[in-house]
Amino acid sequence: MDSETVKTEVIREVREQYAMDNARQLIEKINKHCFERCVPKPGASLSGGEQTCFTQCMEKYMSAWNQVSTTYINRLQRER
Amino acid sequence: MDSLNDHDLEKLNEKDKVELRQFLANESQKARVQATVHSLTDTCFKKCVTGTIRNGKLDKTEESCMANCTERFFDISSLTMKHLQNLRNT
Repeated sequence: MDSETVKTEVIREVREQYAMDNARQLIEKINKHCFERCVPKPGASLSGGEQTCFTQCMEKYMSAWNQVSTTYINRLQRER
Repeated sequence: MDSLNDHDLEKLNEKDKVELRQFLANESQKARVQATVHSLTDTCFKKCVTGTIRNGKLDKTEESCMANCTERFFDISSLTMKHLQNLRNT
């Protein structure tokens, strides 16, 4: 392997790690919030209603994440 | 491709080392911003999405609440910095 190949590989690994870490954090929070919201009294199985609630909650959480991300980054750029 | 080992890293020339250092500095800054976004979404979702969840979209009230929550958090953290600076100067 030459220098260029090693560099490219380091960059690829770091990006992959970054994306994985981001996904893991998001999944963790979605599970926490939406489980609490949609399954207040866990029964013998997930009901249809609970599943619908969970899907919607998940979409809502991701929109909320995007909203925070846009607002925060705009503010960072304004303050700079 | 297999994962890199220490031996591979020794093959980096000076120019690529400099480039990589810059890349890693940028990435760690991005990671810090991202960590804040995760923790803010966590806090603000709890404050802003309080009603029954009826659909997957954020409604207008929730959307502006999330934005306000983010902005006010920013204000608070600037205030903290200002207070600490004042303390140091007195």
